[in-house]
Amino acid sequence: MNIVGVSACSAGIAHTYIVQEKLEKTAKAMGHSCKIETQGSIGVENQLTPEEIAAADIVLLAVDIKVSGADRFKGKPTVKVSTEVATKNPVGLIKSMEKALEK
Amino acid sequence: MEKTLRNIKNHVMTGISFMIPVVVAGGILQAIGVAICGTGISQMEGETLIWYVWKLGNLGMSLVVPVICAAIAYSIADRPAIAPGLILGFVCTYINAGFIGGILAAFFVGYFILFLKKNLKVPKTMQGLMPVLILPLLTTLVCGFLFFTVLGRPIAALIAWIVSALTNMQRGSRFLLGAILGALCGVDFGGPMSKTASTFANGLLVDGVAGPEAVKLVCCMIPSVGLAVSALLARKKYTRVERDSIKSAFVMGICMITEGCIPLAMNDPLRVIGASVIATTITGGVTYVLGIENYVTAGGWFIIPLSNKPLLMAAMVLMGGVIMGVILAVWKKPVNEDGGEAGLDIEGAADIDIEIEHL
Repeated sequence: MNIVGVSACSAGIAHTYIVQEKLEKTAKAMGHSCKIETQGSIGVENQLTPEEIAAADIVLLAVDIKVSGADRFKGKPTVKVSTEVATKNPVGLIKSMEKALEK
Repeated sequence: MEKTLRNIKNHVMTGISFMIPVVVAGGILQAIGVAICGTGISQMEGETLIWYVWKLGNLGMSLVVPVICAAIAYSIADRPAIAPGLILGFVCTYINAGFIGGILAAFFVGYFILFLKKNLKVPKTMQGLMPVLILPLLTTLVCGFLFFTVLGRPIAALIAWIVSALTNMQRGSRFLLGAILGALCGVDFGGPMSKTASTFANGLLVDGVAGPEAVKLVCCMIPSVGLAVSALLARKKYTRVERDSIKSAFVMGICMITEGCIPLAMNDPLRVIGASVIATTITGGVTYVLGIENYVTAGGWFIIPLSNKPLLMAAMVLMGGVIMGVILAVWKKPVNEDGGEAGLDIEGAADIDIEIEHL
C-alpha cells in the first residue's frame, strides 16, 4: 500500500509528531510506503506534494482537529481516526486499512 | 449521534488549538508586566517601557474569545466563517457573554454558513461574490444582530446569575466557597467552568476582596503540578506520548496556563479530572480559610511573591499538587505501550473499526 496522510493534534506540539513517527515506522516495517504531513502549531511540515497524493492508494487522516487543505484529497479513499487510535494501535490501524482496501 | 458528538469535540479542539498560542503570548507578557511593576501597571502608561510589554499582553488577551470563536466557526464552515466568527467573538466580549458565549456563537455562525451554502442559490455570474461578500456580510449581520439583541442576553444573564449565586454563598462558610471555587478551577483546565470561577474571582478583586483570586490562582496551578508529581511517582502508568505532554503541560503550568493538561484529561477523563477536582476542592477550601490574598489576576508561579502570604501560597500549590499526584499515581492503570520499533506484533494487533470515505 502507498499511504499518505496528515497528523494534527489539538496542542500541535507532541502528539502530531509522535503519530507521524509511529505511522511511518510501522508502515515501513509492514512493507508499505507511508508519508505523513504534520500540521502542528508550528505550521505544516513534511508537506505532501500533489504527485505523492496522486500516487497514493489511500489517505490516512490521524487528526483531532480540522485538517487544512483537505480538498487536496478529493476522490481518494480516505480513512479518518483520532491521534489516540493512531498512537495506541498503529499496527491494527494499518492492518484494518489493508483489509478495507481489499473489499 | 456519536459521530456528531465527535465532530463537536473536533470543532472545539480546533478552536482551542488556535486559542492556546494567543493565551500563551498574551498571558505571559501580561504577567511579566505585573511581576516587574506590580498591579498598578495598567495606570503606568508613559512612565515605564514595561507598560508596553504589559499592554501587548493585555491586548492579546482581549483577542482570546474572538480567536476561539473564529477558529471553531472555521472548523465547521471553512474560510468564510473566520470573519463573522471574529466579529461575533468581539460581540460576546462586549455583552459579557464571554467564553461560553464565544463557543456557542461559533457554532451558530458555522452552521448558519453551512446552511447558506446549501440553500442560497445564486446565479453563476455571482458565484465569486459568495465567499467574499454574501456569506460574511449576511452571516455577520444575521448572527451578530441576533446575538446582540436576543441570544447573547440569556448567556450573559446565566453568567451574571452564576456570579451572584456564588457571591451570596460567601455568607456561608469560607471553606465551602473556597472549595467550590477550587473545584470549578480544577474541573476543566481553563475551560468554561474555570473561566466562570475566574470571572467571579476577578469581579470580587475589583471590590477589594482578594481571597477568591488567590484560591483561583492556586487551584489553576495545581493540575499541571499534580500531573508532574504523578508522572514522577508512577512513570510506568503513562505512555511516552503522555509523558511528553506532561512536560509541556508542566512548563505551561508554571505560567498558569492550565490548557496543557487537556490532552492528558482527554485520554483518561475520569481519573485525571477526578484527582484534579479532589485536590483543588480541598486546597481551595484551605487556601480561603487561611486568608491568603493576591491582587494579580494571572501570572502563575511568578506572582506568588506578590501575595500577602507568599510562602503559604507556594505551600498550597505544592500541597494540591501532591494530593492530586498521589491520587493519580495510585488510581491510574498501568499502560502497556505497543508498536515499539523492534518486533511488531502484527498478528496480535486488534483490528480497528474504520470506514473508508471518499471526500
